[in-house]
Amino acid sequence: MNHANSKPLVTLNDLTVGYDEPLVSKINMEIRPGEIISIVGSSGIGKTTLLRTIAGLVKPLEGSINLNIQPRGGLGYIPQKLGLIRHASVAHNVGLGARAGTSFKEDPLTWWKRRNQRVNDAIELMGLSDKADEPTRRLSGGQQKRVATARTLAQQPQLLLADEFLSELDEDNIDVVVRAVINYLEESNAAMILIEHNIERAVEISHRTFSVREGKLTELSDFGSEQE
Amino acid sequence: MIRRKTTFSLIGIGTVIAALVVFDSLIGGDWSPLFGGKENFVEFWQEDLWPPDWSLLEARKYPACEASIGFFCSKAYIGMLETIKMAFVATVLGFIGAILLSPLAARNLVPKAISFPVRIFMAATRSLPSLIWAVIFIAIVGLGPLAGVLAMTFYTIGYLGKLQYEEMEGMRSDPLEASRAMGLSRSEITFLVVIPEASNGLLSQLLFMFEYNVRHGTVLGLVGAGGIGYYLNFYIGLFMYRQVMTFIIVIFVVVVLLDLLSMFIRSFVNEESDVKRPSWKTIFLPPEAAVKEHLEKTDE
Ligand SMILES: Nc1ncnc2c1ncn2[C@@H]1O[C@H](COP(=O)(O)OP(=O)(O)OP(=O)(O)O)[C@@H](O)[C@H]1O
Ligand SMILES: [Mg+2]
Repeated sequence: MNHANSKPLVTLNDLTVGYDEPLVSKINMEIRPGEIISIVGSSGIGKTTLLRTIAGLVKPLEGSINLNIQPRGGLGYIPQKLGLIRHASVAHNVGLGARAGTSFKEDPLTWWKRRNQRVNDAIELMGLSDKADEPTRRLSGGQQKRVATARTLAQQPQLLLADEFLSELDEDNIDVVVRAVINYLEESNAAMILIEHNIERAVEISHRTFSVREGKLTELSDFGSEQE
Repeated sequence: MIRRKTTFSLIGIGTVIAALVVFDSLIGGDWSPLFGGKENFVEFWQEDLWPPDWSLLEARKYPACEASIGFFCSKAYIGMLETIKMAFVATVLGFIGAILLSPLAARNLVPKAISFPVRIFMAATRSLPSLIWAVIFIAIVGLGPLAGVLAMTFYTIGYLGKLQYEEMEGMRSDPLEASRAMGLSRSEITFLVVIPEASNGLLSQLLFMFEYNVRHGTVLGLVGAGGIGYYLNFYIGLFMYRQVMTFIIVIFVVVVLLDLLSMFIRSFVNEESDVKRPSWKTIFLPPEAAVKEHLEKTDE
């Protein structure tokens, strides 16, 4: 796929992220519609911090982020801890995504219907139809990850930030989840930044893989060898 | 580590000693009434308190009773019911006020410039006990249940509001972050994320507050703000302690029943109850019997 001629969705200019001390410095990167980027790196190195900074939840220490997406519903985020409301039903959780991703003003009369349609489709795609009314705290770890995925699919964001949402899933679950997400990204020409601890899987899923090491983000050109 | 432990025990022992010293200075070092007090109490109990005047549980003479069961026309029933009604209304109104204000006081939801003044307001409504608020509202709206309801509502907003914003501040941050990143509005996040996530805590606090308001509602009548306290005050004024005793027993029974009821309702939202839910029966049984009953139920 050629992503080179479309306008970037995200541009990072000399971005330095961290809390008090910098964790990852001087990142320059452009992400275009349809691209899948993965980031690997050891624990505690600052991968989640980078994702939260792009999501606008942490202030950059230096540099800037240009987002070329809708402020409401354009950005999807699956946190490492998933961000589910434990006491609310699967449908309620997925409904939050659908709410962010559908515009009431566009057509108030069909809004309710459009939203429900998205919720039902996403729940069915993730194989959770029989759990729709169950509070999410009663689901297994794998099922909870599918709820978080369904929430994002119902939202249909232009840019998806996913933090290790494939780890601890068994092969069958990974297949279902990855296929659904990649299908969506291709159909809608949306982009994804995926944090993934398994390098092989990261390379397999994404177009470009980056590694965080010693406070720098570098692109891996081929599996295993690094490009300076 | 060890040093930390000893520091904590020293602080603990010091606090207890300080309490005893302060106590001693409060009563001017005269501990004798505590020992002579026992005979006084036995005498008071035998001559003035026991047996309680159970006739208060029967229909009062005037106005004529129209209910088929006399108890429903008794002073105890009428007074207690009025207190419960007042507590119910005040808890519902106070809950609505508190749930609208507390998201504006939670520091993880709004900037300090908003949370600070809201907290000050809540602290102000909480700073005086509801009995004092009742006196103030009596001055404004006159004697009767209206003043009592307003006083309890006011106090409930401050008290319940504090419990609520603390509950909200303690919630996990990842649901907040996911919904903020999605671009949901502040009110959507409050009503669709924060309140559902905090719902368990909010419900137990609500039940606790109702029970609290029933208990405190009983004293509001002492200043003329309606409820069973009116009768308490009346009989205390006449030194008719057998009648007072009846009301105290009624209040005690009602409070214990409310406590059991709220325990039962809360068991439906506890996370442990996903595995096991107590039946109505078990809350009345002693612990060992309850466990046995529960095991039999789950065996089926
Ligand atoms: N809110 C915070 N305030 C201050 N420091 C933080 C905060 N959150 C994380 N950190 C610290 O920042 C560092 C990087 O954390 P981060 O979560 O970004 O790592 P990570 O690369 O995602 O690791 P993992 O693979 O284990 O998820 C850690 O040392 C962590 O303790
Ligand atoms: Mg992380």
